[in-house]
Amino acid sequence: MVENMRQSILTVYIQALFDTDKAYALQIIQNALDNGMSPEQVIFEVVIPGMERMIGGMICDNEVTLSQHFLSSQIAEEVTDRLIPLFKTAPEKRGHVVMGTSFGDFHGLGKKIVSGCLRARMFAVTDLGINVTPERFVDEALASGAEVIGISSMMIHTATGERGAKRVRQLLKERGLEDHIRILVGGAPYRFHDQLYLEVGADAWAETAAEAPAVVEQLVREVQT
Amino acid sequence: MTTGMERFGALMQGQTPDRVPIVCNLLDQGAQELGMSIRNYYSRGEHVAEAQLRMREKYGYDTLNGMFYSALEAEVMGCKNIVYADDGPPNVGHLVISRPEDILKLHVPENLNEHPRFREVASCIKNMKKKSQGRYPVLGVVTASFSLPAMLMGIGLWLELFLSGDPMLRDSLLATCSQFCSRHIKALREAGADLIVYSNPVASATFIMLKKFRELALPWIIRDLEEGGTAGVVFFNGGGRINPILPDLISQTGIGAYYLNPFDDITEARELLGRQALIAGTINDIHLIDWSPEEVDREVKKIMQAGKKAGGFIFGTLMMPLRIPEANIHAMIESAIKHGSYAGEQP
Repeated sequence: MVENMRQSILTVYIQALFDTDKAYALQIIQNALDNGMSPEQVIFEVVIPGMERMIGGMICDNEVTLSQHFLSSQIAEEVTDRLIPLFKTAPEKRGHVVMGTSFGDFHGLGKKIVSGCLRARMFAVTDLGINVTPERFVDEALASGAEVIGISSMMIHTATGERGAKRVRQLLKERGLEDHIRILVGGAPYRFHDQLYLEVGADAWAETAAEAPAVVEQLVREVQT
Repeated sequence: MTTGMERFGALMQGQTPDRVPIVCNLLDQGAQELGMSIRNYYSRGEHVAEAQLRMREKYGYDTLNGMFYSALEAEVMGCKNIVYADDGPPNVGHLVISRPEDILKLHVPENLNEHPRFREVASCIKNMKKKSQGRYPVLGVVTASFSLPAMLMGIGLWLELFLSGDPMLRDSLLATCSQFCSRHIKALREAGADLIVYSNPVASATFIMLKKFRELALPWIIRDLEEGGTAGVVFFNGGGRINPILPDLISQTGIGAYYLNPFDDITEARELLGRQALIAGTINDIHLIDWSPEEVDREVKKIMQAGKKAGGFIFGTLMMPLRIPEANIHAMIESAIKHGSYAGEQP
Protein backbone atom coordinates (compact mmCIF):
# COMPACT_ATOMS: atom_id res chain seq x y z
CA MET A 1 0.00 0.00 0.00
CA VAL A 2 2.77 2.42 1.04
CA GLU A 3 4.80 1.30 -1.95
CA ASN A 4 1.82 1.96 -4.22
CA MET A 5 1.49 5.46 -2.80
CA ARG A 6 5.20 6.21 -3.41
CA GLN A 7 4.94 4.87 -6.94
CA SER A 8 1.92 7.01 -7.59
CA ILE A 9 3.68 10.14 -6.23
CA LEU A 10 6.68 9.40 -8.43
CA THR A 11 4.46 8.94 -11.47
CA VAL A 12 2.67 12.27 -11.07
CA TYR A 13 5.95 13.99 -10.22
CA ILE A 14 7.55 12.71 -13.42
CA GLN A 15 4.51 13.84 -15.39
CA ALA A 16 4.88 17.34 -13.90
CA LEU A 17 8.57 17.38 -14.88
CA PHE A 18 7.69 16.14 -18.35
CA ASP A 19 5.17 18.97 -18.69
CA THR A 20 7.80 21.43 -17.33
CA ASP A 21 5.24 22.46 -14.73
CA LYS A 22 7.42 23.63 -11.85
CA ALA A 23 4.59 24.85 -9.60
CA TYR A 24 2.81 21.49 -9.79
CA ALA A 25 6.05 19.52 -9.24
CA LEU A 26 6.80 21.52 -6.08
CA GLN A 27 3.22 21.06 -4.92
CA ILE A 28 3.57 17.27 -5.27
CA ILE A 29 6.72 17.37 -3.15
CA GLN A 30 5.00 19.44 -0.47
CA ASN A 31 1.97 17.11 -0.45
CA ALA A 32 4.27 14.13 -0.01
CA LEU A 33 5.92 15.78 3.00
CA ASP A 34 2.53 16.79 4.44
CA ASN A 35 1.31 13.21 4.09
CA GLY A 36 4.13 11.85 6.18
CA MET A 37 6.95 11.01 3.77
CA SER A 38 10.30 11.79 5.38
CA PRO A 39 12.71 14.28 3.75
CA GLU A 40 15.02 11.32 3.04
CA GLN A 41 12.25 9.41 1.27
CA VAL A 42 11.23 12.45 -0.74
CA ILE A 43 14.78 12.99 -1.96
CA PHE A 44 15.80 9.38 -2.60
CA GLU A 45 12.47 7.92 -3.72
CA VAL A 46 10.90 10.80 -5.64
CA VAL A 47 13.23 13.68 -6.50
CA ILE A 48 16.31 11.73 -7.57
CA PRO A 49 14.52 8.93 -9.46
CA GLY A 50 12.36 11.60 -11.13
CA MET A 51 15.39 13.63 -12.16
CA GLU A 52 17.30 10.62 -13.40
CA ARG A 53 14.43 9.19 -15.38
CA MET A 54 13.81 12.57 -16.96
CA ILE A 55 17.40 13.57 -17.65
CA GLY A 56 18.36 10.04 -18.59
CA GLY A 57 15.72 10.11 -21.31
CA MET A 58 13.96 7.05 -19.90
CA ILE A 59 10.59 8.68 -19.83
CA CYS A 60 9.50 8.18 -23.42
CA ASP A 61 10.73 7.12 -26.82
CA ASN A 62 11.70 10.66 -27.81
CA GLU A 63 14.73 12.45 -26.50
CA VAL A 64 14.04 14.63 -23.51
CA THR A 65 14.56 18.32 -24.15
CA LEU A 66 16.99 20.74 -22.51
CA SER A 67 14.12 22.63 -20.85
CA GLN A 68 13.00 19.39 -19.18
CA HIS A 69 16.60 18.67 -18.12
CA PHE A 70 16.89 22.18 -16.76
CA LEU A 71 13.69 22.08 -14.75
CA SER A 72 14.25 18.58 -13.34
CA SER A 73 17.72 19.50 -12.20
CA GLN A 74 16.68 22.91 -10.86
CA ILE A 75 13.87 21.43 -8.75
CA ALA A 76 16.13 18.61 -7.54
CA GLU A 77 18.73 21.14 -6.43
CA GLU A 78 16.21 23.43 -4.73
CA VAL A 79 14.41 20.62 -2.90
CA THR A 80 17.64 18.90 -1.88
CA ASP A 81 19.08 22.13 -0.47
CA ARG A 82 15.85 22.68 1.49
CA LEU A 83 15.47 19.15 2.83
CA ILE A 84 19.01 18.04 3.63
CA PRO A 85 19.11 20.10 6.85
CA LEU A 86 16.00 18.15 7.92
CA PHE A 87 17.62 14.71 7.49
CA LYS A 88 17.92 12.66 10.69
CA THR A 89 21.64 12.25 10.07
CA ALA A 90 23.61 14.47 7.72
CA PRO A 91 24.36 12.58 4.50
CA GLU A 92 27.98 11.84 3.77
CA LYS A 93 29.35 13.81 0.82
CA ARG A 94 30.46 11.54 -1.99
CA GLY A 95 33.05 13.93 -3.37
CA HIS A 96 33.63 17.55 -4.24
CA VAL A 97 33.49 19.14 -7.68
CA VAL A 98 34.61 22.64 -8.60
CA MET A 99 32.66 23.65 -11.65
CA GLY A 100 32.43 26.50 -14.14
CA THR A 101 32.43 27.40 -17.82
CA SER A 102 35.74 27.73 -19.60
CA PHE A 103 37.39 31.11 -20.01
CA GLY A 104 35.66 33.21 -22.67
CA ASP A 105 32.49 31.12 -22.47
CA PHE A 106 29.37 32.84 -21.17
CA HIS A 107 26.91 29.94 -21.57
CA GLY A 108 25.97 28.61 -18.14
CA LEU A 109 22.98 26.35 -18.84
CA GLY A 110 24.77 22.99 -19.09
CA LYS A 111 26.76 23.69 -15.95
CA LYS A 112 23.58 24.54 -14.04
CA ILE A 113 21.91 21.28 -15.07
CA VAL A 114 24.94 19.17 -14.12
CA SER A 115 25.37 21.03 -10.85
CA GLY A 116 21.78 20.26 -9.83
CA CYS A 117 22.23 16.57 -10.65
CA LEU A 118 25.43 16.35 -8.63
CA ARG A 119 24.06 18.17 -5.59
CA ALA A 120 20.97 15.97 -5.54
CA ARG A 121 23.29 12.96 -5.68
CA MET A 122 25.08 14.22 -2.53
CA PHE A 123 28.21 15.61 -4.16
CA ALA A 124 29.49 18.96 -2.91
CA VAL A 125 29.63 21.46 -5.76
CA THR A 126 31.45 24.77 -5.81
CA ASP A 127 30.00 26.73 -8.72
CA LEU A 128 32.54 29.24 -10.00
CA GLY A 129 30.11 30.67 -12.56
CA ILE A 130 30.93 31.57 -16.14
CA ASN A 131 34.11 32.74 -17.89
CA VAL A 132 36.46 31.10 -15.36
CA THR A 133 40.23 31.33 -15.76
CA PRO A 134 42.27 28.09 -15.64
CA GLU A 135 44.20 29.46 -12.66
CA ARG A 136 40.99 30.00 -10.70
CA PHE A 137 39.76 26.46 -11.42
CA VAL A 138 42.96 25.03 -9.98
CA ASP A 139 43.25 27.45 -7.05
CA GLU A 140 39.65 26.86 -5.97
CA ALA A 141 39.95 23.07 -6.33
CA LEU A 142 43.06 23.12 -4.20
CA ALA A 143 41.54 25.42 -1.58
CA SER A 144 38.36 23.36 -1.23
CA GLY A 145 40.01 19.96 -1.47
CA ALA A 146 37.94 19.06 -4.54
CA GLU A 147 38.75 15.83 -6.34
CA VAL A 148 37.27 16.96 -9.65
CA ILE A 149 37.31 20.11 -11.78
CA GLY A 150 34.28 20.26 -14.08
CA ILE A 151 34.68 22.50 -17.15
CA SER A 152 31.66 23.25 -19.32
CA SER A 153 32.02 24.74 -22.82
CA MET A 154 29.38 25.68 -25.33
CA MET A 155 31.71 26.68 -28.13
CA ILE A 156 34.49 24.84 -29.87
CA HIS A 157 37.08 27.58 -29.40
CA THR A 158 36.47 27.80 -25.65
CA ALA A 159 36.53 24.00 -25.36
CA THR A 160 39.79 23.59 -27.24
CA GLY A 161 41.46 26.96 -26.67
CA GLU A 162 44.67 27.53 -24.78
CA ARG A 163 42.87 29.04 -21.77
CA GLY A 164 40.45 26.17 -21.27
CA ALA A 165 40.86 22.58 -20.10
CA LYS A 166 44.27 22.33 -21.82
CA ARG A 167 45.71 25.01 -19.56
CA VAL A 168 44.07 23.47 -16.48
CA ARG A 169 45.83 20.21 -17.34
CA GLN A 170 49.11 22.06 -17.73
CA LEU A 171 48.70 23.78 -14.35
CA LEU A 172 47.88 20.51 -12.59
CA LYS A 173 51.02 19.04 -14.11
CA GLU A 174 53.21 22.00 -13.19
CA ARG A 175 51.96 21.96 -9.60
CA GLY A 176 52.20 18.18 -9.20
CA LEU A 177 48.43 17.83 -8.68
CA GLU A 178 47.51 15.34 -11.39
CA ASP A 179 47.16 12.46 -8.92
CA HIS A 180 44.89 14.51 -6.69
CA ILE A 181 42.56 16.30 -9.08
CA ARG A 182 40.77 14.95 -12.16
CA ILE A 183 39.32 17.00 -15.04
CA LEU A 184 35.77 16.39 -16.32
CA VAL A 185 34.48 18.25 -19.39
CA GLY A 186 31.08 18.59 -21.01
CA GLY A 187 29.03 20.74 -23.37
CA ALA A 188 27.89 20.95 -26.97
CA PRO A 189 31.24 20.51 -28.80
CA TYR A 190 31.87 17.22 -27.00
CA ARG A 191 28.48 15.92 -28.10
CA PHE A 192 29.38 16.65 -31.71
CA HIS A 193 32.79 14.97 -31.32
CA ASP A 194 33.10 12.23 -28.71
CA GLN A 195 36.92 12.04 -28.73
CA LEU A 196 37.43 15.76 -28.20
CA TYR A 197 37.84 15.38 -24.43
CA LEU A 198 41.14 13.57 -25.00
CA GLU A 199 42.49 16.39 -27.14
CA VAL A 200 41.84 18.97 -24.42
CA GLY A 201 43.55 16.89 -21.75
CA ALA A 202 40.46 15.89 -19.77
CA ASP A 203 40.20 12.61 -17.87
CA ALA A 204 36.56 12.09 -18.81
CA TRP A 205 33.46 13.66 -20.33
CA ALA A 206 29.79 13.22 -19.65
CA GLU A 207 27.42 13.24 -22.62
CA THR A 208 24.42 14.10 -20.48
CA ALA A 209 23.90 15.52 -17.01
CA ALA A 210 22.40 12.19 -15.98
CA GLU A 211 25.74 10.50 -16.64
CA ALA A 212 27.71 13.07 -14.67
CA PRO A 213 27.24 11.62 -11.15
CA ALA A 214 28.52 8.18 -12.20
CA VAL A 215 31.47 9.69 -14.06
CA VAL A 216 32.33 11.95 -11.12
CA GLU A 217 32.04 9.03 -8.72
CA GLN A 218 34.55 7.08 -10.79
CA LEU A 219 36.95 10.03 -10.89
CA VAL A 220 36.65 10.55 -7.12
CA ARG A 221 37.38 6.86 -6.58
CA GLU A 222 40.48 7.10 -8.77
CA VAL A 223 41.78 10.01 -6.72
CA GLN A 224 41.02 8.39 -3.38
CA THR A 225 42.68 5.05 -4.14
CA MET B 1 29.20 29.10 -65.78
CA THR B 2 26.18 28.56 -63.59
CA THR B 3 26.07 30.88 -60.59
CA GLY B 4 24.84 30.38 -57.05
CA MET B 5 21.88 32.63 -57.79
CA GLU B 6 20.92 30.48 -60.79
CA ARG B 7 21.19 27.32 -58.70
CA PHE B 8 18.99 28.70 -55.94
CA GLY B 9 16.64 30.21 -58.52
CA ALA B 10 16.22 26.83 -60.20
CA LEU B 11 15.45 25.14 -56.89
CA MET B 12 12.92 27.78 -55.93
CA GLN B 13 11.11 27.24 -59.23
CA GLY B 14 10.98 23.50 -58.67
CA GLN B 15 13.66 22.80 -61.28
CA THR B 16 16.87 20.81 -60.97
CA PRO B 17 20.11 22.87 -61.07
CA ASP B 18 23.42 21.57 -62.44
CA ARG B 19 24.40 20.54 -58.93
CA VAL B 20 23.26 20.86 -55.33
CA PRO B 21 23.85 24.44 -54.13
CA ILE B 22 26.40 24.74 -51.32
CA VAL B 23 26.16 27.02 -48.28
CA CYS B 24 29.38 27.28 -46.30
CA ASN B 25 29.13 29.50 -43.22
CA LEU B 26 32.60 30.93 -42.77
CA LEU B 27 32.50 33.90 -40.38
CA ASP B 28 35.55 34.52 -38.17
CA GLN B 29 37.72 32.99 -40.92
CA GLY B 30 37.37 36.33 -42.69
CA ALA B 31 39.69 37.94 -40.16
CA GLN B 32 42.43 35.44 -41.01
CA GLU B 33 41.76 35.99 -44.68
CA LEU B 34 42.50 39.69 -44.26
CA GLY B 35 45.27 39.14 -41.69
CA MET B 36 43.65 41.18 -38.95
CA SER B 37 42.32 40.65 -35.44
CA ILE B 38 38.71 39.55 -35.03
CA ARG B 39 37.87 42.80 -33.25
CA ASN B 40 39.32 44.92 -36.05
CA TYR B 41 37.74 42.71 -38.69
CA TYR B 42 34.21 43.14 -37.37
CA SER B 43 34.64 46.86 -36.78
CA ARG B 44 33.91 47.63 -40.45
CA GLY B 45 31.38 46.26 -42.88
CA GLU B 46 33.80 46.71 -45.74
CA HIS B 47 36.23 44.25 -44.11
CA VAL B 48 33.56 41.58 -43.79
CA ALA B 49 32.32 42.15 -47.34
CA GLU B 50 35.83 41.94 -48.77
CA ALA B 51 36.63 38.72 -46.89
CA GLN B 52 33.30 37.09 -47.74
CA LEU B 53 33.81 37.80 -51.43
CA ARG B 54 37.37 36.48 -51.31
CA MET B 55 36.43 33.32 -49.42
CA ARG B 56 33.56 32.53 -51.76
CA GLU B 57 35.93 32.90 -54.70
CA LYS B 58 38.65 30.85 -53.02
CA TYR B 59 36.49 27.87 -52.03
CA GLY B 60 33.75 28.01 -54.68
CA TYR B 61 30.54 27.73 -52.65
CA ASP B 62 27.29 29.42 -53.63
CA THR B 63 26.35 32.13 -51.13
CA LEU B 64 27.71 35.27 -49.47
CA ASN B 65 27.07 35.59 -45.75
CA GLY B 66 26.12 39.00 -44.35
CA MET B 67 26.23 37.87 -40.73
CA PHE B 68 28.92 39.21 -38.37
CA TYR B 69 28.26 37.46 -35.03
CA SER B 70 25.08 36.68 -33.07
CA ALA B 71 25.87 39.01 -30.19
CA LEU B 72 25.60 41.99 -32.52
CA GLU B 73 21.82 41.84 -32.15
CA ALA B 74 22.22 42.19 -28.39
CA GLU B 75 24.41 45.25 -29.04
CA VAL B 76 21.65 46.86 -31.07
CA MET B 77 19.29 46.10 -28.16
CA GLY B 78 21.58 47.83 -25.66
CA CYS B 79 24.38 45.41 -24.71
CA LYS B 80 27.32 47.54 -23.55
CA ASN B 81 30.10 44.98 -23.55
CA ILE B 82 31.08 42.55 -26.28
CA VAL B 83 33.91 40.21 -25.37
CA TYR B 84 36.27 39.48 -28.24
CA ALA B 85 38.42 36.37 -28.51
CA ASP B 86 41.38 35.68 -30.79
CA ASP B 87 40.09 32.31 -31.85
CA GLY B 88 36.30 32.44 -31.96
CA PRO B 89 33.18 34.57 -32.23
CA PRO B 90 32.56 37.61 -30.01
CA ASN B 91 30.30 36.98 -27.01
CA VAL B 92 27.77 38.95 -25.00
CA GLY B 93 29.65 40.27 -21.94
CA HIS B 94 26.79 42.31 -20.46
CA LEU B 95 23.21 41.16 -20.09
CA VAL B 96 20.73 43.87 -21.01
CA ILE B 97 18.12 42.30 -18.71
CA SER B 98 19.31 41.59 -15.20
CA ARG B 99 16.06 42.39 -13.35
CA PRO B 100 12.41 41.90 -14.41
CA GLU B 101 11.86 45.68 -14.66
CA ASP B 102 14.59 45.88 -17.32
CA ILE B 103 12.20 44.11 -19.71
CA LEU B 104 9.88 47.09 -19.67
CA LYS B 105 12.76 49.47 -20.41
CA LEU B 106 13.93 47.73 -23.58
CA HIS B 107 14.07 49.96 -26.60
CA VAL B 108 13.77 48.80 -30.18
CA PRO B 109 15.16 51.31 -32.70
CA GLU B 110 12.47 52.40 -35.17
CA ASN B 111 15.02 52.04 -37.92
CA LEU B 112 17.92 49.69 -37.24
CA ASN B 113 20.17 51.86 -39.38
CA GLU B 114 20.13 54.35 -36.51
CA HIS B 115 22.50 51.99 -34.72
CA PRO B 116 26.19 52.21 -35.76
CA ARG B 117 26.79 48.45 -35.49
CA PHE B 118 23.84 47.56 -37.69
CA ARG B 119 24.93 50.21 -40.18
CA GLU B 120 28.14 48.21 -40.65
CA VAL B 121 26.10 45.05 -41.34
CA ALA B 122 23.92 46.93 -43.83
CA SER B 123 26.96 48.42 -45.53
CA CYS B 124 28.53 44.96 -45.76
CA ILE B 125 25.44 43.52 -47.44
CA LYS B 126 25.17 46.44 -49.87
CA ASN B 127 28.84 46.13 -50.70
CA MET B 128 28.62 42.37 -51.36
CA LYS B 129 25.46 42.79 -53.36
CA LYS B 130 27.08 45.42 -55.57
CA LYS B 131 30.35 43.59 -56.10
CA SER B 132 28.83 40.17 -56.70
CA GLN B 133 26.42 41.70 -59.25
CA GLY B 134 23.62 39.37 -58.26
CA ARG B 135 25.55 36.20 -59.05
CA TYR B 136 25.44 34.84 -55.51
CA PRO B 137 22.60 35.15 -53.01
CA VAL B 138 23.48 37.35 -50.05
CA LEU B 139 22.31 35.94 -46.73
CA GLY B 140 21.00 38.12 -43.93
CA VAL B 141 20.76 36.38 -40.57
CA VAL B 142 18.23 37.21 -37.87
CA THR B 143 17.50 35.70 -34.46
CA ALA B 144 13.86 34.83 -33.82
CA SER B 145 11.96 36.57 -31.03
CA PHE B 146 11.73 33.31 -29.08
CA SER B 147 15.53 32.90 -29.04
CA LEU B 148 16.69 36.52 -28.75
CA PRO B 149 15.98 36.73 -24.97
CA ALA B 150 18.72 34.14 -24.38
CA MET B 151 21.22 36.79 -25.49
CA LEU B 152 19.56 39.55 -23.49
CA MET B 153 19.13 37.79 -20.14
CA GLY B 154 21.02 34.47 -20.38
CA ILE B 155 19.45 31.17 -21.33
CA GLY B 156 18.88 30.02 -17.72
CA LEU B 157 16.77 33.03 -16.79
CA TRP B 158 14.95 32.91 -20.10
CA LEU B 159 14.03 29.24 -19.56
CA GLU B 160 12.81 30.08 -16.07
CA LEU B 161 10.72 32.96 -17.35
CA PHE B 162 8.98 31.11 -20.16
CA LEU B 163 8.54 27.85 -18.26
CA SER B 164 7.42 29.10 -14.88
CA GLY B 165 7.64 32.89 -14.74
CA ASP B 166 5.12 35.69 -15.06
CA PRO B 167 3.26 35.20 -18.38
CA MET B 168 2.64 38.92 -18.79
CA LEU B 169 6.33 39.69 -18.42
CA ARG B 170 7.19 36.87 -20.81
CA ASP B 171 4.75 38.13 -23.43
CA SER B 172 5.94 41.69 -23.00
CA LEU B 173 9.52 40.57 -23.66
CA LEU B 174 8.48 38.46 -26.64
CA ALA B 175 6.45 41.31 -28.11
CA THR B 176 9.51 43.57 -27.91
CA CYS B 177 11.78 40.92 -29.39
CA SER B 178 9.29 40.22 -32.15
CA GLN B 179 9.15 43.90 -33.03
CA PHE B 180 12.94 43.90 -33.16
CA CYS B 181 12.96 40.76 -35.31
CA SER B 182 10.45 42.19 -37.83
CA ARG B 183 12.37 45.44 -38.11
CA HIS B 184 15.63 43.52 -38.42
CA ILE B 185 14.28 41.46 -41.32
CA LYS B 186 12.98 44.60 -43.00
CA ALA B 187 16.33 46.36 -42.62
CA LEU B 188 18.27 43.36 -43.94
CA ARG B 189 16.01 43.18 -46.99
CA GLU B 190 16.36 46.90 -47.60
CA ALA B 191 20.15 46.52 -47.44
CA GLY B 192 19.87 43.90 -50.19
CA ALA B 193 19.76 40.49 -48.50
CA ASP B 194 18.32 37.93 -50.91
CA LEU B 195 17.63 35.26 -48.32
CA ILE B 196 16.74 35.72 -44.66
CA VAL B 197 18.15 33.03 -42.41
CA TYR B 198 15.77 32.95 -39.45
CA SER B 199 17.58 31.32 -36.55
CA ASN B 200 15.54 29.89 -33.69
CA PRO B 201 17.55 27.49 -31.53
CA VAL B 202 15.40 27.82 -28.40
CA ALA B 203 12.31 26.77 -30.39
CA SER B 204 14.05 23.62 -31.61
CA ALA B 205 13.20 20.13 -30.37
CA THR B 206 16.53 20.08 -28.57
CA PHE B 207 15.28 22.81 -26.23
CA ILE B 208 11.54 22.43 -25.86
CA MET B 209 8.97 19.72 -26.39
CA LEU B 210 6.38 19.89 -29.12
CA LYS B 211 3.56 20.92 -26.79
CA LYS B 212 5.53 23.96 -25.57
CA PHE B 213 6.63 24.72 -29.11
CA ARG B 214 3.00 24.91 -30.21
CA GLU B 215 1.90 26.84 -27.17
CA LEU B 216 4.78 29.32 -26.80
CA ALA B 217 7.11 29.45 -29.78
CA LEU B 218 4.99 28.93 -32.90
CA PRO B 219 2.67 31.93 -32.39
CA TRP B 220 5.73 34.19 -32.16
CA ILE B 221 7.28 32.73 -35.31
CA ILE B 222 4.07 33.58 -37.14
CA ARG B 223 4.12 37.09 -35.65
CA ASP B 224 7.82 37.69 -36.46
CA LEU B 225 7.12 36.99 -40.13
CA GLU B 226 3.65 38.50 -40.38
CA GLU B 227 4.61 41.96 -41.57
CA GLY B 228 7.40 41.13 -43.98
CA GLY B 229 6.16 37.78 -45.25
CA THR B 230 8.03 34.52 -45.68
CA ALA B 231 9.46 35.02 -49.17
CA GLY B 232 13.12 34.05 -49.13
CA VAL B 233 13.00 33.02 -45.47
CA VAL B 234 15.01 29.96 -44.41
CA PHE B 235 14.21 28.45 -41.01
CA PHE B 236 17.62 27.74 -39.45
CA ASN B 237 17.99 25.19 -36.63
CA GLY B 238 20.65 27.21 -34.79
CA GLY B 239 22.22 24.04 -33.44
CA GLY B 240 19.08 22.16 -32.35
CA ARG B 241 17.08 19.35 -34.00
CA ILE B 242 14.05 20.56 -35.96
CA ASN B 243 12.51 17.50 -37.60
CA PRO B 244 9.84 17.12 -34.86
CA ILE B 245 8.56 20.66 -35.46
CA LEU B 246 8.62 20.62 -39.27
CA PRO B 247 4.96 19.61 -39.80
CA ASP B 248 3.76 22.52 -37.67
CA LEU B 249 6.15 24.96 -39.30
CA ILE B 250 5.18 24.05 -42.85
CA SER B 251 1.46 24.08 -42.17
CA GLN B 252 1.30 27.18 -39.98
CA THR B 253 3.98 29.57 -41.23
CA GLY B 254 4.37 29.15 -44.97
CA ILE B 255 8.16 29.16 -44.69
CA GLY B 256 9.55 27.50 -47.82
CA ALA B 257 13.03 26.33 -46.76
CA TYR B 258 14.35 24.46 -43.72
CA TYR B 259 17.98 24.21 -42.64
CA LEU B 260 18.37 20.97 -40.70
CA ASN B 261 20.67 20.02 -37.86
CA PRO B 262 23.30 17.32 -38.58
CA PHE B 263 21.31 15.05 -36.25
CA ASP B 264 18.08 15.50 -38.24
CA ASP B 265 17.42 12.77 -40.77
CA ILE B 266 17.10 14.18 -44.30
CA THR B 267 14.76 11.47 -45.60
CA GLU B 268 12.48 11.89 -42.61
CA ALA B 269 12.49 15.69 -43.09
CA ARG B 270 11.30 15.26 -46.68
CA GLU B 271 8.50 12.95 -45.58
CA LEU B 272 7.43 15.45 -42.93
CA LEU B 273 7.57 18.48 -45.23
CA GLY B 274 6.04 17.10 -48.42
CA ARG B 275 7.42 17.86 -51.89
CA GLN B 276 7.33 21.65 -51.99
CA ALA B 277 9.72 22.92 -49.32
CA LEU B 278 13.48 23.14 -49.79
CA ILE B 279 15.75 21.31 -47.37
CA ALA B 280 19.32 22.16 -46.40
CA GLY B 281 21.12 19.15 -44.99
CA THR B 282 24.13 19.88 -42.83
CA ILE B 283 27.46 18.31 -42.14
CA ASN B 284 28.71 17.95 -38.54
CA ASP B 285 31.36 20.60 -39.05
CA ILE B 286 33.14 20.11 -35.72
CA HIS B 287 34.47 16.85 -37.18
CA LEU B 288 35.97 18.82 -40.07
CA ILE B 289 38.67 19.90 -37.61
CA ASP B 290 40.32 16.50 -37.66
CA TRP B 291 38.73 14.33 -40.34
CA SER B 292 41.00 13.15 -43.15
CA PRO B 293 40.02 14.20 -46.70
CA GLU B 294 38.76 10.64 -47.23
CA GLU B 295 36.51 10.87 -44.18
CA VAL B 296 35.23 14.26 -45.33
CA ASP B 297 34.44 12.80 -48.75
CA ARG B 298 32.64 9.83 -47.25
CA GLU B 299 30.44 12.05 -45.07
CA VAL B 300 29.64 14.53 -47.84
CA LYS B 301 28.76 11.67 -50.19
CA LYS B 302 26.37 10.21 -47.62
CA ILE B 303 24.61 13.56 -47.14
CA MET B 304 24.41 14.20 -50.87
CA GLN B 305 22.97 10.76 -51.60
CA ALA B 306 20.19 11.31 -49.07
CA GLY B 307 19.67 14.91 -50.20
CA LYS B 308 19.48 14.21 -53.93
CA LYS B 309 17.03 11.42 -53.29
CA ALA B 310 14.92 13.76 -51.16
CA GLY B 311 15.01 16.49 -53.84
CA GLY B 312 14.84 20.28 -53.45
CA PHE B 313 18.14 19.98 -51.65
CA ILE B 314 20.88 22.36 -50.49
CA PHE B 315 24.13 21.26 -48.83
CA GLY B 316 25.14 23.31 -45.81
CA THR B 317 27.32 23.71 -42.75
CA LEU B 318 26.57 25.08 -39.30
CA MET B 319 28.88 27.91 -38.15
CA MET B 320 32.24 26.53 -39.21
CA PRO B 321 34.75 26.60 -36.31
CA LEU B 322 37.86 28.66 -36.95
CA ARG B 323 40.09 25.66 -36.27
CA ILE B 324 39.00 23.76 -39.38
CA PRO B 325 42.07 23.55 -41.64
CA GLU B 326 41.72 25.24 -45.02
CA ALA B 327 42.55 21.90 -46.67
CA ASN B 328 39.42 20.38 -45.15
CA ILE B 329 37.24 23.26 -46.30
CA HIS B 330 38.57 22.70 -49.82
CA ALA B 331 38.06 18.95 -49.44
CA MET B 332 34.46 19.44 -48.30
CA ILE B 333 33.58 21.79 -51.17
CA GLU B 334 35.30 19.61 -53.77
CA SER B 335 33.40 16.57 -52.50
CA ALA B 336 30.15 18.53 -52.44
CA ILE B 337 30.64 19.62 -56.04
CA LYS B 338 31.54 16.06 -57.11
CA HIS B 339 28.77 14.23 -55.25
CA GLY B 340 26.20 17.00 -55.68
CA SER B 341 26.29 16.97 -59.46
CA TYR B 342 23.04 16.15 -61.24
CA ALA B 343 24.83 15.55 -64.56
CA GLY B 344 23.47 12.43 -66.18
CA GLU B 345 20.70 12.05 -63.61
CA GLN B 346 16.98 12.24 -64.13
CA PRO B 347 15.52 15.42 -62.57
